[in-house]
Amino acid sequence: MLKFIIKRLAQVVVVLFLILTVLFVLFRLAPGDPVERMVDPEMSVEDAALLIKEFGLDKPILTQYTIYLKNFAMGRFGKSFHYGDPVANIIREKLPNTVLLFTTAVLLSAMVGISWGKIAAWSKGKPKDLALTIASLVTHTLFLPWLALIMMWIFSYQLNWFPLGGMMSTSEESILGLDITWWDQALDIGYHMVLPLTTLFLIHFGSYLLVMRSSMLDTLKEDYIITARAKGLTERDIRNHHAAPNAMLPVVTSVGLSLAFSINGGALTETVFSWPGIGRELVFAVSHNDYPLAQACFLLIATVVLFANVVVDVLYAYLDPRIRY
Amino acid sequence: MSQQAVIALKQAKRSLWKERLAEDWRVFHSNPLGRIGLTLLIMFGLMAVCSYIPPLIDPMYNPMTGVDPKIMASTGPSVRHWLGTDFMGRDIFAQLLAGARVAFMVGVTAAFMSVVLGTAFGMTAGYMGGVTDTLLMRAADMIMVMPTLLVVLLLAALFGQLNIWTIVLMIALFRWPGVSRVVRAQTLSLKQRPFIDAARVAGASHTRIIFRHIMPNVLPLAFLYMTFRVTSAIVIEAALAFLGFGDPGTVSWGMMLQWVWKTGHMFRAMYWLLPPGLCISLITLSFYMLGRAMDEVLDPRLRDETSAG
Repeated sequence: MLKFIIKRLAQVVVVLFLILTVLFVLFRLAPGDPVERMVDPEMSVEDAALLIKEFGLDKPILTQYTIYLKNFAMGRFGKSFHYGDPVANIIREKLPNTVLLFTTAVLLSAMVGISWGKIAAWSKGKPKDLALTIASLVTHTLFLPWLALIMMWIFSYQLNWFPLGGMMSTSEESILGLDITWWDQALDIGYHMVLPLTTLFLIHFGSYLLVMRSSMLDTLKEDYIITARAKGLTERDIRNHHAAPNAMLPVVTSVGLSLAFSINGGALTETVFSWPGIGRELVFAVSHNDYPLAQACFLLIATVVLFANVVVDVLYAYLDPRIRY
Repeated sequence: MSQQAVIALKQAKRSLWKERLAEDWRVFHSNPLGRIGLTLLIMFGLMAVCSYIPPLIDPMYNPMTGVDPKIMASTGPSVRHWLGTDFMGRDIFAQLLAGARVAFMVGVTAAFMSVVLGTAFGMTAGYMGGVTDTLLMRAADMIMVMPTLLVVLLLAALFGQLNIWTIVLMIALFRWPGVSRVVRAQTLSLKQRPFIDAARVAGASHTRIIFRHIMPNVLPLAFLYMTFRVTSAIVIEAALAFLGFGDPGTVSWGMMLQWVWKTGHMFRAMYWLLPPGLCISLITLSFYMLGRAMDEVLDPRLRDETSAG
């Protein structure tokens, strides 16, 4: 097992290296002066000279390449044009927000999708199954930004139940950092998270439900289910302890495969709800021609996706004792 | 073989084809999902065809450049403008029709290109095996886990404004791995069958075996995947346009949503916000349902299985 994990991690490093190389080449191929892309035109001459030196933009191309790889390994991504701060600081500030929203959304939709998929398969052909299947087909194919806008229109604009966006209320106390306990702050964030979370949940639970349902239907035909019945176990026991754990394996695979799709959705959700995360920052950076920031956001997301896939593979091996690497 | 025998053989082949097609159609038609999906798609197809009509009636119905001289702001539905007008006084209904045309154009070309790429790479990997196989499949794995929308966004940051065909090309370049995996698996199993050995013994070249014996057997599967690729291509283009990185010269549904969002009309103009989003969602749903139904046609094991989906 340990050998397998190390092998997969080594693959991740190779892939990351390839992505970095492709980006480096594209960066040089793109029209315009690379110096102009990395160095803010409004910067003072000394600062610009310092940055050019840090990225080795005045050196031959191969030296530039090694400096670029080294900078990436050290977490030096240059300075954001818009914020004027080092990109690494901005990312450090935004990353936890994305992780919070995204992991909650994926875990919630996977858990609900799995348990509802189980129910749908169990009552196959009955109205309950039909309703769940149709609901997941429809919500799964909704266009995410549109759903987000509609949610905002209903729950923020018409009913005024939830805030229009952001992650925290900007009351005077919170600006000054006075009188807010840790608990109040958590509650406030939770309150702001309801709508983006619901949007992501609605889009994602359907695919897990459908995979779980069909995998459960396959599992129910297995011999060990008949054995369990013959032993006189209750239907509930068979469903939850004999069929479901085995039926979950394809769902784990589909979580891994749909991760890229979910990340696209995450970036869109963050943008519409002004959730201060990495995805929104990437969109923002691209529309403001802030290449250092855009590149760093993208590389970070790519790294996270690659590592998440390793986690999914390991989880699969853990759940399925037949698989031993 | 005499001339007559050849003709008889051809006829027998043709009637076999017809029978098979009729049987497939029956299976497809008995599936409610397939029926609904196909009906919706025909509707969208009609919309795309009709998109050429409004500008002919009056230039003010031109989806991109037509402006109603009497209206300069967004107004609700009226007889003159069935779905109202946008912030510049352009007709929303005409834009909606034009959006259907763009969606089909983007979806079908991007999906076709990614299926061609996926089939080519998948067959090569499966047939050649060895290093070629490993390299191609590693590349596929790598591309598969990348979030396509964000990749295209980054490319937009590097190369500036993308036009609609560049977007289509990008989507195709990043969406082939799914197809290639399936095609590769199918090719691997076909390679073991006796008829490939027979062809090889008869002296067929690799190219001939790939194109004459393997390709006809993997194509149905590849085209099944095409329906699923169409949905993802449409959604990616729409999302890109929504974020403001679409082709400024085309009116797509995503673009319409970008306008309604960026001009701050999303809570005031439901007649403008609802139609484009509904169209994107419905066309995605219908291609998806069509794909599920075709899945059933191609895979007989699923037939008694998926009564509800």
